[in-house]
Amino acid sequence: MKQTARLILCLFLFGIFWGCGDSGTSGARPEGTKLRSSADLKDKRIGVLLGSTHDTYAMKTYPRATILQYKSPSDILLAVKSGKVDAAIYTYETLLDIFRTDHDLAFLGKPLFYIQVGTGFNKNNNALRKKFNEFLHGIKENGVYADMVDRWITRGESRMPAINGKKTNGVLVVGTVSDKGLPFTIVKDGRMIGFDVELTERFAAYLGKELKMADMEFGSLIAAAATNKIDMITSTLMITEERKKQIAFSDVYCELGASAFALKKNIAQPGDAIGASGTTEASPSFLTKIADGFYNNIVHENRYHLILDGLKATVIISIFATIFGTLLGALVCSMRMSKILLLNLTARVYISILRGTPVLVLLMLIFYVVFASVSIDPIIVSIIAFGMNFAAYTAEIFRSGIQGVDKGQTEAGIAMGFTRVATFRHIVLPQMVRRILPVYKGEFISLVKMTSIVGYIAVQDLTKAGDIIRSRTFDAFFPLVMVAILYFLISWLLLQSLEYAERLTDPKYKRRKAARA
Amino acid sequence: MIRVEHLSKKYGECTVLKDITVQINKGEVISIIGPSGTGKSTFLRCLNLLERPSGGAIYIDGADLLDKKTDVPGIRQRMNMVFQSFNLFSHLSVRENLTIGPIKLKGMNREEAEHKALEILKLVGLAEKALNFPDELSGGQKQRVAIARCLAMEPEIILFDEPTSALDPTMVSEVLSVIRRLAREGMTMAIVTHEMAFARDVSNRVFYMDEGYIYEEGTPEQIFDNPQREKTRIFINRVRSFNYRITSPDYDLYAMNGEIEAFCEKQILPRITRHNLLLLVEELLQLHSQIPSVFPLDLTISHSEKHGNLELTLENAGEEINPLDPDLAPDDLGLNIINHLAEKIDYRRVDGRNSVIASLRKD
Repeated sequence: MKQTARLILCLFLFGIFWGCGDSGTSGARPEGTKLRSSADLKDKRIGVLLGSTHDTYAMKTYPRATILQYKSPSDILLAVKSGKVDAAIYTYETLLDIFRTDHDLAFLGKPLFYIQVGTGFNKNNNALRKKFNEFLHGIKENGVYADMVDRWITRGESRMPAINGKKTNGVLVVGTVSDKGLPFTIVKDGRMIGFDVELTERFAAYLGKELKMADMEFGSLIAAAATNKIDMITSTLMITEERKKQIAFSDVYCELGASAFALKKNIAQPGDAIGASGTTEASPSFLTKIADGFYNNIVHENRYHLILDGLKATVIISIFATIFGTLLGALVCSMRMSKILLLNLTARVYISILRGTPVLVLLMLIFYVVFASVSIDPIIVSIIAFGMNFAAYTAEIFRSGIQGVDKGQTEAGIAMGFTRVATFRHIVLPQMVRRILPVYKGEFISLVKMTSIVGYIAVQDLTKAGDIIRSRTFDAFFPLVMVAILYFLISWLLLQSLEYAERLTDPKYKRRKAARA
Repeated sequence: MIRVEHLSKKYGECTVLKDITVQINKGEVISIIGPSGTGKSTFLRCLNLLERPSGGAIYIDGADLLDKKTDVPGIRQRMNMVFQSFNLFSHLSVRENLTIGPIKLKGMNREEAEHKALEILKLVGLAEKALNFPDELSGGQKQRVAIARCLAMEPEIILFDEPTSALDPTMVSEVLSVIRRLAREGMTMAIVTHEMAFARDVSNRVFYMDEGYIYEEGTPEQIFDNPQREKTRIFINRVRSFNYRITSPDYDLYAMNGEIEAFCEKQILPRITRHNLLLLVEELLQLHSQIPSVFPLDLTISHSEKHGNLELTLENAGEEINPLDPDLAPDDLGLNIINHLAEKIDYRRVDGRNSVIASLRKD
């Protein structure tokens, strides 16, 4: 057992070495195909953020290009760096900040177009929208707004000023995407900062409310506002006609450029003669890279806090969903084995529907439809959704376990004077548990891994934590491999407890133990 | 102690038990015998309500078992059952198999229950297996544990449902001797069994069941030595018979001989017996073929497994005539051969039929 664990750990470490060594070497293009201007994108592969205005623009402007839609800015950057796309379109202001530290990338010409940005509200919440417009007008008048632009966007600072407001007027829930990137939103030292965040905090202070930031997938924001899950969206939300159908926008608080960018070496520079490629730097050693990766991804800005919080969320969801799913599964199983047609049919329908739909769809349905108008912790929603899914599988596992116990033993129990329930408890159950544990363990592990999708409903789990770090460091390999190792460790540890249970239910275990002693 | 009145059991259209009325008294050992599929096990399982009867009534010490208010689990504690397939609790050790009932049902403390379990295991000769698990025991040991498990509950009656049918022959006796011992100690028992010798010497009363009811009932002597009714007799003597109809004097001798040989083979008769039987049949038919009115002629050969007798009957509905009459025979040779092969041969005229009955001489 220990040797296996060691071997697997070695494989993981090898993966990190390999990954670090590999990063940044791919994606170079031959001289003749270098990009000169944004017009060259017409037949190339272009990366965009899924559902963004860049997406719409690229579709319309470059009908012959291959448009690849990514779910987060960090994914787009990664795609450009690893050569999965030739170029990408993203917000000029954010790129400006990234290019301060990342010298591999560069703009491809001037911004393509400008987009107006506003905050979003539920259509029925006109009062809050008006309040925001008043507030915006106010800070533009008194110079606070100009100062914010100067600090965050022009100078690229990353310090939040302290904003102290009364918190006596209730709670303001604001949806945002924490990995938007600077200058708008990032996570630093375990808290969100940025232009958007400051704006929101100032608004909450203006209202005298306590601010609660809900970190969500970008694609979920509008649905969340439309169903009143959140009061307001502040996430550099571009104002489009389509979105106006779903939500109401505030006045414009910012105008953003949309720029195409690519690897610097793939962009033709003025005076870039054939054969005159720049001198290559000596690449640092593996160990230095790992040390750097570890520092940047984990130590810097206390990023391990994110990982620990994510770990906690993943473990909580896994354990409680397992408990809930097991209990519900037992109920469904008893219904499935009932002779009453209605109960039996209900259980069959439940099992086939739950097994036949992706758990992600179920998760979103429960969050946005079932609990649409109820304020509920998304962790609880996750536990319910995964528990329901788990129950459908365990119900059938339980059934096969019960049917696997020789019917004669039940008869013997009953003939001895046990009631049906007591026979089940003392005779069938202990044998069933032992029988199903191997399959149950497998189902449990897949549940743990399945929880990695809870980021969709604004739960910051382990995967999401990895994404956030990735959005700051633009290093794919270290956070992903680390998240993989952590998932493996969680499942391995939780599995140990189930294996212990398996040993306990082995009737001969006690005897063997006594014999050894 | 147990009174059964007009008990019946149907599975859909199929009637398994019809109108059984019996009484089992304290201290009695009842053996229930009969051919397979005649409802013996179903009857036993109805007694503790493992099967729910379709009609009739069962009273245990006066309590109506089918009354909803009756505490059936409570009654079952006093009326335990031993199954054909042992049905030991496979997740429990032998000792735990014995203690689970007393601890959980009778509230006995563990120490006392374990002490008692060991006493009972000594009784069935398995004390050294106390800590083993059922899958480590032989069939005979498992069944003895199952009996011990019943005894641990201190029942007033034990129902045995074919306790030795699933055992290999070498293990039957170890189980039977445990049951014999219980019988000697005065335990009330109802035993469905195929072990005739055992049923005979262990029981006070024997029920012969056939076609879903108790066809004949009596002491072992009555049932085994002097069964009153036809089916009981056939069952007890384990009689197997063979019928063949001969329609004309020009019958196909070889086809008939082939069938007789097949029958003999099935009964595992020695070659010499088979040879003698065929010779006897041929000579008797030779005598009959002298008389035209004997056709159609019915040949029956019966073999009693228990006594090893082979009986041969030839019947016809023709005019009254004795084919054994020496005056009818063309020569003495046939009759001489017949008298030599047959131990006993008789002619009888019954209900307007001539019948010749012969027993083959045993070697």
